[in-house]
Amino acid sequence: MGAKGGQRVVIEPHRHPGVFVARGKEDLLVTKNLTPGEAVYGEKRISVETPTAVSGDGAVNGDTAPVATKTEYRVWNPFRSKLAAGILGGLEDIHMKPGSKVLYLGAASGTSVSHVADIVGPTGTVFAVEFSHRSGRDLINMATHRTNVIPIIEDARHPLKYRMLVSMVDCIFADVAQPDQARIVGLNAHQFLKVGGGVVVSIKANCIDSTAAPEAVFAREVVKLREERIKPKEQLTLEPFERDHAMVVGVYQRSSS
Amino acid sequence: MSVDYLLHESPVGFGIFALKMQSDTVGARLKEVQDAHTDLGRFGKMVQLVSFAPFQGASQALENANDVSEGIMSEYLRTVLESNLPTTTGKKAKNKVVLGVGDRNLAGSIKQAFPGIECETGETSELVADLLRGLRLHAEKLLKGLQTGDVSRAQLGLGHAYSRAKVKFSVQKNDNHII
Repeated sequence: MGAKGGQRVVIEPHRHPGVFVARGKEDLLVTKNLTPGEAVYGEKRISVETPTAVSGDGAVNGDTAPVATKTEYRVWNPFRSKLAAGILGGLEDIHMKPGSKVLYLGAASGTSVSHVADIVGPTGTVFAVEFSHRSGRDLINMATHRTNVIPIIEDARHPLKYRMLVSMVDCIFADVAQPDQARIVGLNAHQFLKVGGGVVVSIKANCIDSTAAPEAVFAREVVKLREERIKPKEQLTLEPFERDHAMVVGVYQRSSS
Repeated sequence: MSVDYLLHESPVGFGIFALKMQSDTVGARLKEVQDAHTDLGRFGKMVQLVSFAPFQGASQALENANDVSEGIMSEYLRTVLESNLPTTTGKKAKNKVVLGVGDRNLAGSIKQAFPGIECETGETSELVADLLRGLRLHAEKLLKGLQTGDVSRAQLGLGHAYSRAKVKFSVQKNDNHII
């Protein structure tokens, strides 16, 4: 696969380390594929040749032709991943970068998780928690190919049940779509999140309260996060990719002063 | 109540730590107290490793992980506690020993088996919660004989084993269809 008809595509680093933008006929959000040659869920892949710099002042000694290595990127669809939508929407800080440890709550089949795994790279770790057995199987399958993903099939409401499997993390990403999700995030933060670590929560207004106005629901959730000692930093709606969704980013502060 | 010992359940084994310095509960939320837990140099002065009991292989790790998850004290944990905590029954009985445990259910099982041990959990005491967070953060440095990467490798193996058992995942089949 790759860019259609071999047209020129230029990869540029995104503002967030580990995320890239492919500039071709249209601009696409991409991540560097951790397992080149493999797609996770049928997403498009783009291969780009990066000529490796030849040591010395130039390849005068004829026998060493500059070797071109291919780097593969995977297209990240903002209509399928809320984190991608949030990044395109202009989140200031996603709190994950190469080397980060991320606790991902509501991992589902692991499509978005695979992109987070690309971002944190081989030196990072993604602890992917999903309760549903059906999607859990897909998640485990995906994790067999990506060794920086640790699949955890368990209820995120009970972080103590998987306390042996998780270390302290730099960031918690939550896409659980449960009425008590602020509490779920808080429980996990108290247990596993480093002081000063990031919390990125996707809120679907309908899942919290389908009768209230979305803005009111978001405001209430932010208050609940504050009570869990998470200081909100930014909030943004996921329009036009999702309707009545908001992304809230906060920082965990354990000390009360 | 002051805490004497802490139990750390890691994917490589059980660690028992003794608390050398008691910080008071009043200032638990102060920034300085919090910082002390994050800084390895200062945290290392607060706790001391009494014993680290590694698991003998993946299957034992999985058994213990399952038990810990359900709040059951495994036989292995029992022997580890028995041999490393001071005896509190019999003639030499001193005051009760207070052990900091992560989970309330596990605390209950331990108390039942060892009448001389009192348990504090992260829920009942913020101090214990903070100390256990510190142990989790610095586990690799505090547990003796471990190298960087050991814990994460164990987590990976244990995570797969634990989760596969949950969904009855088999590598041969993509899915077990019910027709």
